[in-house]
Amino acid sequence: MLIYRTKTEFIKEKGDNTVNGYKPTPLRRLIGLAAAFCTAFTMSVTAFADEPYESYNYDNWDDAIPSQTGYTVDRVVSGLDMGLKELSTPGSPVFISEKESSSLNEARDIYNYNDKELWIADSTNNRVLCLDSDFHIKGCYKEAGGKNLKEPMGLFVTDSPTTGKQTVYIADSANERVVRATVESPTELKLEQEYTRPTEALYTSTTYNPSKVVVDYAENVYVVVKSVNTGSVQFKADGTFMGFYGANRVNVTAKVIAQKLWRKIASQQQIEGMQRSVPVEYANFDMDSEGFIYTVTEIMTDTDAVKKINPAGYNIWEAISDERFTFGDHTENVSNLATKTTIATKLTDIAVDDNGLINVLDFDTGRVFQYDKFCNLICIFGARNSTGDQRGAFATPNAIETFGDKIIILEGSKTRNDITVFKCTAFGNQLHKAFSYYDDGLYTEAVPYWNEVIKRDGCYTYAHIGLGKADLKNHDYKSAMKRFKIARSRKNYDKAFEYYRDEWLQQNFTAIAVVIIVLVVLAIVSKILKKLGISIFKKKAGKGEN
Amino acid sequence: MYEFSTLGWVRHVVFHPSEGFEDLRWKKQGSVTAALVIVVLLFIAMVANNRMVGFAFNTNTVKVFNVVPLVVQSVVYFITWCIGNWCICTLLDGEGTFRKILIYSAYALVPYIFCSYIAVFISNFIILDESIWYTFFTYLGLGWSVVLMISAMKAVHQYSLSKTLLSILLTLIAMLLILFLAILLLSLFQQVYVFVYTIYTEIAYRIRG
Repeated sequence: MLIYRTKTEFIKEKGDNTVNGYKPTPLRRLIGLAAAFCTAFTMSVTAFADEPYESYNYDNWDDAIPSQTGYTVDRVVSGLDMGLKELSTPGSPVFISEKESSSLNEARDIYNYNDKELWIADSTNNRVLCLDSDFHIKGCYKEAGGKNLKEPMGLFVTDSPTTGKQTVYIADSANERVVRATVESPTELKLEQEYTRPTEALYTSTTYNPSKVVVDYAENVYVVVKSVNTGSVQFKADGTFMGFYGANRVNVTAKVIAQKLWRKIASQQQIEGMQRSVPVEYANFDMDSEGFIYTVTEIMTDTDAVKKINPAGYNIWEAISDERFTFGDHTENVSNLATKTTIATKLTDIAVDDNGLINVLDFDTGRVFQYDKFCNLICIFGARNSTGDQRGAFATPNAIETFGDKIIILEGSKTRNDITVFKCTAFGNQLHKAFSYYDDGLYTEAVPYWNEVIKRDGCYTYAHIGLGKADLKNHDYKSAMKRFKIARSRKNYDKAFEYYRDEWLQQNFTAIAVVIIVLVVLAIVSKILKKLGISIFKKKAGKGEN
Repeated sequence: MYEFSTLGWVRHVVFHPSEGFEDLRWKKQGSVTAALVIVVLLFIAMVANNRMVGFAFNTNTVKVFNVVPLVVQSVVYFITWCIGNWCICTLLDGEGTFRKILIYSAYALVPYIFCSYIAVFISNFIILDESIWYTFFTYLGLGWSVVLMISAMKAVHQYSLSKTLLSILLTLIAMLLILFLAILLLSLFQQVYVFVYTIYTEIAYRIRG
């Protein structure tokens, strides 16, 4: 940026000289024009390479500080780039009909099948698409079990552990069912099982519109259903209803407490008229390689915004430590006076990759927050833009998915429908390597990567903590203390200081012992001298003596 | 008997909580200079507590250091205490003059100041597991100073114990009132200033045309 700017100024000065000082000859004019053209050209290139967002991170005071970009836009793939034209081209292997739409339309979900295929729930087009690893169309599915799909909202693709076949689970929202089907050909699905509205009395909701679906290794099916706030609906593989799983809790606010108090003194009729405080249903979930389910909830709250739940349905992160984990932006709601809108954190989707990196997508700001498996914030990227006409900015970011080391965000609004592929920058690569060693406790191995990180962003807190821990491991306590002081990590500093103090005491034990012995001897000698009535120093008369 | 230097008197009252201030009063001792020095030391102790405490013990937000709250917490509170106490105890037949209240209150603060210096000092040599020492010295100084302050107020006004406690409670209320009025006054003056400044700007613009 800087170099290009000075160049422009330089050329500008030259141009001024041409007008004021010299006679503008045709040659000079030509040179001036060429220079102007060059400037314009370099300018456009620079603007092209910039992301529409400013990367930042949080320091220990929860203040946002600028940081390097961890991810940058690799490419944007629209329906045309995916080759959706083939759907309406007779003779192609994925031909559906002549009128089949060649663009996405408000797609709601994407799913990564073993880094080989990317599946898209193209909701308003009532179809499910399958793309190959180069994001080119490979399959298109419009019906399952003799019934056309209608607004498919969620997807899950896996190799069935029992049959070994590629199996697709589709949350067929408007048809009130979840479909399990095997893939037969590029346009054909074979229905295996339908998961319809449970008939048990435990299921109290009148509607059943499945929006997201996840399947565990035992082929239990978990379904997020709109307007069901008691957790996800859980089915056995054969379709029997098993109950609810991992409900959110009520976010305790002053309002809720006041209501609780009023309830104690109100009459029956009054209680019936009152609003009930109920938890918020979660928006989306994902499963990691170990089979843990992660949920996100679309509301500005500290309680249960993001959860990692165990098979019993409890949040693991709550149980393992006394630390509180925060997700999304640390700031309060930001209100925009110009548009009279409030921007609040609204975490809409989560994607956990094979290395355990957690990516959380914020719908309102279009930002992706990436965490390592211990919920340490790695980086933030992405932006919101009301029209969504910039690469890397979104108007309606609906879903996030990881694909190898890339991150894919699905934009599905009325005006723009595509997927944006983000790739790691050099900075992001160093971060990932450093964090993977750091999380495994291999602090020394992480050192070269942390050093690279610090070269690019000296304010990166975890880099200092990581280097400090490596120092601690190498018994370089003094340096570790310095690192932890920079990172303002009090607990780690305390540990380093403890070792440092022990070491210091051990090394200087002789000197300390000698000093103590000398002092004791002096005290005894002075006592004896006093007893004998001999004074070495002359005492001041009067004062201080009763 | 009781022929001490100024410092000697300070030591005497600190180590004789029940009788010290009575002796001080009887002997008509105590120096305003010493009292003011003690208040300055209190301020320095506050700063030290904020800046020099061991890193692992420092829970203050040290990203931005602002000295004004510390001045308020030490000097302003102390002076408000003296004024409030003087106001209340003049009404409650107290015998203390403002000068005496200032001196006796300042002397009573000495253990607190001294112990916070010790706490700050040792916090640089202990780890969090041993934080009991840090807490011990903080609370020791605080408790000792509270006892001394009650004794000082009792001696300076020649009250009974219950009346002393009542007067201290009323003093605290008076402090709140004074601070409230001070803030009110401050904000009023600020508004007047803004008003005058606006008029000045307006006129200045008109003159310039």
